[in-house]
Amino acid sequence: MEKAIKKWWPLFVLPTMAAFAIGFLVPFVWGLYLSFCNFTTINDAVFTGLENYVMAFTDPSSVFTHALWYTALFSALSTVIINLLSLTVAILLVRGIRGTNIFRTVFFMPNLIGGIVLGWLWQVLINGVLEKYGVTIVTNEWYGFWSLILVMTWQQLGYMMIIYISGLQSIPEELSEAASIDGANAWQTLRHVKLPMLMPSITICTFLTITNGFKLFDQNLALVGQNSPNSQLMALDIYNTFYGRTGWAGAGQAKAVVFCIIVVAIALIQQKLTHSREVQQ
Amino acid sequence: MKKISALILALALALTCVSFASAETGSVYYLNFKPEQAQQWEELAAQYTKETGVPVTVVTAASGTYEQTLQSEIVKEDAPTLFQVNGPKGLATWKEYCADLSATKLYENVKSDDFVLKQGEEVVGIAYVIETYGIIYNKDLMAKYIALENAKIKDVAEINTFDTFKAVVEDMQARKDELGIVGAFTSAGMDSSSDWRFKTHLANMPIYYEYKADGIGDTAAIKGTYLDNYKMIWDLYINNATCAPSLIGAKTGSDALADFVLGEAVFYQNGTWAYGDCINEGMTDEQLGMLPIFIGVEGEENQGLCTGSENYWCVNKNASEEDKAATIAFLEWCITSDTGRDAIANKMGFLTPFKSFDDGYVANNALIAAADEYIAGGKTSVSWNFPTMPSETWKNGVGVALLNYAQGTGNWDAVVTAFVDGWAAEAAAAK
Amino acid sequence: MANEKSNLKRSTRVANGILSVVFSVISLAYVYPLFIMLVNSFKKKAYISRAPFTIPLPGDANWTRMFVGTDNYATGIQKTEFPMAFVYSLVITVLSVFVILLCCSMTAWYINRVHSKLSKGVYALCLFSMVVPFQMVMFTLSKIANVLHLNTPLGIVVIYLGFGAGLAVFMFAGYMKSCPIAIEESAMIDGCNPVRTFFSIVLPVLQPTYVSTAILEAMWIWNDYLLPYLVLDLKKYKTIPIAVQYLKGGYGSVDMGAMMAMLVLAIVPIIVLYLCCQKYIVSGVMAGAVKG
Repeated sequence: MEKAIKKWWPLFVLPTMAAFAIGFLVPFVWGLYLSFCNFTTINDAVFTGLENYVMAFTDPSSVFTHALWYTALFSALSTVIINLLSLTVAILLVRGIRGTNIFRTVFFMPNLIGGIVLGWLWQVLINGVLEKYGVTIVTNEWYGFWSLILVMTWQQLGYMMIIYISGLQSIPEELSEAASIDGANAWQTLRHVKLPMLMPSITICTFLTITNGFKLFDQNLALVGQNSPNSQLMALDIYNTFYGRTGWAGAGQAKAVVFCIIVVAIALIQQKLTHSREVQQ
Repeated sequence: MKKISALILALALALTCVSFASAETGSVYYLNFKPEQAQQWEELAAQYTKETGVPVTVVTAASGTYEQTLQSEIVKEDAPTLFQVNGPKGLATWKEYCADLSATKLYENVKSDDFVLKQGEEVVGIAYVIETYGIIYNKDLMAKYIALENAKIKDVAEINTFDTFKAVVEDMQARKDELGIVGAFTSAGMDSSSDWRFKTHLANMPIYYEYKADGIGDTAAIKGTYLDNYKMIWDLYINNATCAPSLIGAKTGSDALADFVLGEAVFYQNGTWAYGDCINEGMTDEQLGMLPIFIGVEGEENQGLCTGSENYWCVNKNASEEDKAATIAFLEWCITSDTGRDAIANKMGFLTPFKSFDDGYVANNALIAAADEYIAGGKTSVSWNFPTMPSETWKNGVGVALLNYAQGTGNWDAVVTAFVDGWAAEAAAAK
Repeated sequence: MANEKSNLKRSTRVANGILSVVFSVISLAYVYPLFIMLVNSFKKKAYISRAPFTIPLPGDANWTRMFVGTDNYATGIQKTEFPMAFVYSLVITVLSVFVILLCCSMTAWYINRVHSKLSKGVYALCLFSMVVPFQMVMFTLSKIANVLHLNTPLGIVVIYLGFGAGLAVFMFAGYMKSCPIAIEESAMIDGCNPVRTFFSIVLPVLQPTYVSTAILEAMWIWNDYLLPYLVLDLKKYKTIPIAVQYLKGGYGSVDMGAMMAMLVLAIVPIIVLYLCCQKYIVSGVMAGAVKG
């Protein structure tokens, strides 16, 4: 059978791969090359070695180094908060309380709304509240930071909740029953029986929240805008470097490469860590 | 099944190489800088297309994103045929793309070479609008104030120095309930729809006086001689406004406009381009006046409003010959035909530097009239030096520092640093 | 069973009752932002940032001052050409999802059943592309899209196929691993060629994965802002997120009224769709997550 299918690769693989080459592979490799070039438009690139990387990290306004740790912190905190909250909600919502379906529906809804739309919607609300305390979302980087956390939690809670619920539902009843017969209380059952069984869901959710946090762009753009360099996550900073600073396109591409390496590294490490724990269990 | 799969394959392949033949006759793609007049440009373009059959597309970039949009559009195959630069600094970035316009009716009609950008002998940019800014004020509220007991002035003409102005503003702010206002000034919003009023237009004042004192027109190293004056006027704006200084980070241009047109503030720093907005929101010509921006410099009694241009038309050199010809024909039509002149002078309210507008198409509104009065009264107009600011990054740096200072999250030294050191750094980077 | 029910501790029932109440309150708070947005879309633009939480009611002083009826919707639609943006968003999403599902399920089947270097390479690349941030390729991608004339709603489908292939191939391949190969083999022995085998045997089996992949890809494409913003010819085509962001334009003119109205128009169809096919969407996400 394998042989019979094999000759059909032009139909099965080629269209996807052609598009993949156009939409990803070629831009990726070309982008990698451009990060070592000086250019304003794509046609006048001159190879300059590591100059762009030096430029990105030694920029006197240090926006990039700021964006680096700001994004890392945001990603870490939002991962913890979103996962804790969504797991809690999931555990409470599998008890079969009245209205469970409505609650699930409501919590999941914000996921379907785009980042730009969400960002604008929340900007009005958050500024409206903050104004009462004499501050705004751009007063300093922390207002923007916590606003982003709030918005992302609001948006992603439902999604992660759904994944946790499906994880919880796949745990056989007998296990928890056996645990309670052995005298384990609810917390012990959760800690020693359910959580280990939930490891695959936790892996997925942390992976999604971490990468979402790192790649966040739309919400950042609409919520705090481009006027507050200290509230900019990496993706937005890279965009601004590319299109907002004359002569900095090369540095922007270099930043993008650094960004890419970080995200890929984190994804690999995270996968390794949680997978190894799954195996242990 | 085979047929279907073959069809799908063909479709998939066809999709990867969709391509449309471009039209043979020329067309115009105008990347417009001025969002206030976006709609009027679109209407004018539609009219031109109706008359001549030449397609004209007008795209307007959102405020603060013109350079960004131009950067991404100009490398496209279907690039703008007509774009704008803000002056010599902008020209330096885009000079590779600017065609020579010296053989056109545009250049023929320009009143003086002051309104064109040259590169050697070539005319590569032509200004199409002369604008004026200052402190727009509500005449009704001003009259109401003057009628109050112990008003600091008896006539608005008495405001001819920073000190008098400050006394009036602070008195108004103190007696805001008597006047029925919320603050003397509209909110000094630092949202990107409004921050250019301060990081660019207001920042022009200290630059103008420094250039004047040093007898220069551009520099790679600003000294910041008049930054204390900049601070004085900025303090006045933020401490006597409709909102607390800590809130300006979220205030937009629309917020400031709303403050002004709802009669909640007396003063509103903006320019002749804001006329349409004020009228559309229900104000009348009789209510609008404009004062110079005094910052407390010696001899400012003779200072007038800030007049200049940062809008130069450039035709894309790399466009096809047909498109270039079509673009120039469109522009010539705009400044010579009745429809074009009517739209530009009356609908957009632009005062142009073209001779062809002299016979009956001189834009006139309350704000332009105010500007004329100052010139007629022998006052010296403040020139627009902000096109010499080294980069957008510099402006943003100053803007952030101004905002931090206002919010109390930064000090004035940071503004000075952004202004002086930032200038040197950005000027060096541009080389 | 009845016995067990009555054995359910009273305290548990009370706790569940309290939980219901608590969750009801939280749910109300959860939709409150959407409610405020709806209210603001009927308010005069000057009052949206001044009094975002004020709800004008007929009869009170705020009503005449703040309420503008559907004016914001009229200006918003006129400024953004919203109906066209809606159509473009719809066309792009539907076409892209269709092409992604078709092409990627075929590719996934191939790399699952054929164990060659090509298969392994393709799979590895797909995994890799899922992680790479868009900023890495945005500049070069927009250039390529322009040169190849992919800057139309049809052309962008190719880009979406390329950029969305990673997730889709991954999901289909994950599901196929667990599918028995026997039926396919017997079909092929009976003389079906691979194309026929795929469409008549594999495709029906994959149905649940089609649904969940379609939902995930559609959610992404419908809401995507930066990719179409950089790729599409903005003179002619704007999607909904681009149209909304475009309102934040103009010297001094962020028209918050029109903005709120357009946000409502952008959100309402999605919520209606969601409420109608909630079951599929939620189970789609669940299935997607389990396979992921």
